[in-house]
Amino acid sequence: MRTAREILALPLAALIAASPHLIGANHREAPITALDHKADITDFFAFVSYGPDQASNTPPSKVTLILCVDPLLEPANGPNYFPFDPGIVYEIKVDNNHDAGEDIVFQFQFYTEQRLPGLFTVYAGAGNGAVAPSNSPAPVAPGTPLVPPRISGFDSPGLGQRQSYRVTMVKGGVATSLTSADGSPFYAVPANVGPRTMDYAALFEKGTYKLPGGISVFAGTVDDPFWIDLGGAFDTLNLRTLGSGVPGILTDAEDAAGRNFATDTVSGYAVNAIAIEVPIEMLTSTGKVEPPGSPAATIGTWATTGRPRVTIRRSPEAVIHDGLVRQVQRMGNPLVNELLIGTGSKDRFSMDHPSNDGQFAAFLLDPALPRVVNALTGGVLAIPAPPRADLLPLVTYAPPIAAPNTPPGPVADLLRLNTGVPATPPAAAHRLGLLAGDAAGFPNGRRLFDDVTDIALRVVVGGVLVQGFNKFPNNRLGDGVNVNDAPYRNEFPYLADAPDGRNRRHLDPGEEGGGPVQ
Amino acid sequence: MIRHFALPLLIAAGLSLEAEGPVLSPAETRIQAARRRIAADPGSPAHFNALALALAQRARESSDQAYYDRALETLKRSFELAPGNFEGEKIRAWVLLGRHDFGAALELAKTLNRKAPDDVQVYGYLADAYIELGKYAEAEKAAQWMLDLRPGNVAGLTRGAYLRELFGDLDGAVEFMNEAYARTPPGEAEDRAWILTHLAHLQRLLGRFDVARRLLSEAFRLYPDYHYALAELGRVAMAQGENAEAARLFQKHYRLAPHPENLFLVGEALEKAGEPEQARSVFLDFEAAARKEMDGADNANRELIFYYADYAARPEEALRLAHFEIARRQDVYTRDAYAWALFRSGRYEEARVQIEAALAVGVRDPKLLGHAEAIRARRQAAAVR
Repeated sequence: MRTAREILALPLAALIAASPHLIGANHREAPITALDHKADITDFFAFVSYGPDQASNTPPSKVTLILCVDPLLEPANGPNYFPFDPGIVYEIKVDNNHDAGEDIVFQFQFYTEQRLPGLFTVYAGAGNGAVAPSNSPAPVAPGTPLVPPRISGFDSPGLGQRQSYRVTMVKGGVATSLTSADGSPFYAVPANVGPRTMDYAALFEKGTYKLPGGISVFAGTVDDPFWIDLGGAFDTLNLRTLGSGVPGILTDAEDAAGRNFATDTVSGYAVNAIAIEVPIEMLTSTGKVEPPGSPAATIGTWATTGRPRVTIRRSPEAVIHDGLVRQVQRMGNPLVNELLIGTGSKDRFSMDHPSNDGQFAAFLLDPALPRVVNALTGGVLAIPAPPRADLLPLVTYAPPIAAPNTPPGPVADLLRLNTGVPATPPAAAHRLGLLAGDAAGFPNGRRLFDDVTDIALRVVVGGVLVQGFNKFPNNRLGDGVNVNDAPYRNEFPYLADAPDGRNRRHLDPGEEGGGPVQ
Repeated sequence: MIRHFALPLLIAAGLSLEAEGPVLSPAETRIQAARRRIAADPGSPAHFNALALALAQRARESSDQAYYDRALETLKRSFELAPGNFEGEKIRAWVLLGRHDFGAALELAKTLNRKAPDDVQVYGYLADAYIELGKYAEAEKAAQWMLDLRPGNVAGLTRGAYLRELFGDLDGAVEFMNEAYARTPPGEAEDRAWILTHLAHLQRLLGRFDVARRLLSEAFRLYPDYHYALAELGRVAMAQGENAEAARLFQKHYRLAPHPENLFLVGEALEKAGEPEQARSVFLDFEAAARKEMDGADNANRELIFYYADYAARPEEALRLAHFEIARRQDVYTRDAYAWALFRSGRYEEARVQIEAALAVGVRDPKLLGHAEAIRARRQAAAVR
């Protein structure tokens, strides 16, 4: 038997070495996630599909869920580019009975082949291919194939690094593989290296898979669908001075414009995206498309990344999923971890389950961000007093997203979506979503073009949902970046083409389209 | 914190090359360095925190509990300069654990955890306090958070190893300790020696006495006369029936770490070595020393219980003390002592309940298993009659 004096004497240097003095929030929100770029979730979207197969003025039929990971990928960054990590389990989760627990989980796992291990770069191609010319020095004989043809499909020989993936749906404890009709593999669309090497558009099209049962899946490197003056936002909210003369306040004309007045820092960058579209019947607890007034219409969604976990209790049943994966990151609503959760809690938030979010309620119901803006403006901007009950629809099932008689459930950061609300046709949709009367927009789910930065500024900082606060300047807060730099698709997977590595362009402050420096 | 200790490590390396002056231990080097920093910049709470931490480390190196008091004194200055500073509070939690004030340590660790749930060290303090109080499910949760938040961190691995051992997974404990050893910087001689000692402890429980001895040789090479390693070597010797050697080792151990519970080991080894008179004299010294601290948090009451139960024929005193201890903490070793006091008092059914509660955790310590067997046999014999 050991005495307590011994047992207690755990290594001190061990503690010192483990000292996690990594503080600081940025686009990569939590310290641990900043160390694990591949598992870092940048964005999560959930919305009623508005593709061409959704006839207008008919009840909604499908929901699209998109998970983006691996932030700020510089498209020219070869030779390895940006494969998904086969060591990560990527998951999209759905709560359909308002308890903040997962009722349906879509899991994505990748497998990487290196098909050209002798080549210096993972993708190569040009025209119809190139052979050694007549003056080729020995021992390579003239006519020997040296450069493969331009990559146009997943069987192209120049696609040296090829990733396939499996999709599994776990529902009611039963795991089902979601496969193509003929069982052929799903391939991830690679980075857009450049026009000589590949026909990215062809790969994108081939990489968009239609499965039996009305399901579609997509995975690949795409344009980062997010847009924000990231540099201005994180320089302690040093937003740019536009037409109003007050930083961070838009004029009516700027607010209404479909173009940018400040720098889209994310422009020209790529991201890795996983998308799935499923019939609504697969997601609701009743197995039916529910009208918007039905509590069962509203679901809660979030995404996670996880890695293999070392547990203190070693499970003799290695097939048990739980316990083998430690969650690295999660995301429900945008910007919650980035802007609301304190730096001493970001890792715990990332790794905890949404149903435990009550422990973070103080951050959510008395957020520091409005106080910071209040201070930075010297009190010019009035902010509502806590507790911020107006923010409850973001963290509980409540109107205006859920039907009035929906059980609120525990405080949980889920992206809630009323699947009964019909999609707004793209031409009529508004970047400010619900705030602008577009009922199918954030925070009722989140579409790619919902301007969550401006919405968050107005709702969280400006308090426009609180009586008396929906007025100037609170309702004109904005970063001046209103649209994405690349055009989104109007059908699944809705994402835009990745910028090509040879000709990519990042817009900078001071240049045309990049907004002012000041 | 790393910043503060990087320099002292370099100084330590320099000192060991110089002929004059004694070679300082890692903690002594850190104490010196912190004092120099305080002299140069007496207004910085960080320097006082560094000194308090080094003093706490010295308490472990030297087995001299007085260093914990000095650490607390030093922290007072840190808190004067920066009231309630987080680093200082963390060191205070560490010191409270060192002084066996588990309840207070747990409350402080819980408060710190609520303030900064990302801090891995604080989960370590939670795990330590829960383990000592016998709240193993809570301890496992805290230690698992350490491993999840920072996979492979040494503090999490050592806690995980100890819990695996308690849960009966000795191979798994060895796995974690090996990884902890590989991840501990070579300059941290005492930490490495500590891990080697615990590996030896696990290997002894697995019956691999030669491996245990080799591990302990390496611990002594890294840290000569290391008191924990001496005690473990004594236990290995005893497990191999080398009781005279064990007694000699425990005597040396006691000279270096003069705590009553260490004297009890000497008495037991002498008794087994066939030296009953010497053993009796040692036990009397032990009893006198142990009774002096029996009402404090940091006591030798578990050894005292076994002494009264097995050597002094005073089961009623063993049971009185056991009641006192079990009210304070319900860890497996306290339950074992309580069960044995009940057994010696003829309360076999209650003894069975206690020893089974201890074994239900999973622990496979030979001493507990032996007690469980004795209790079972006695009950069976009673049933036959």
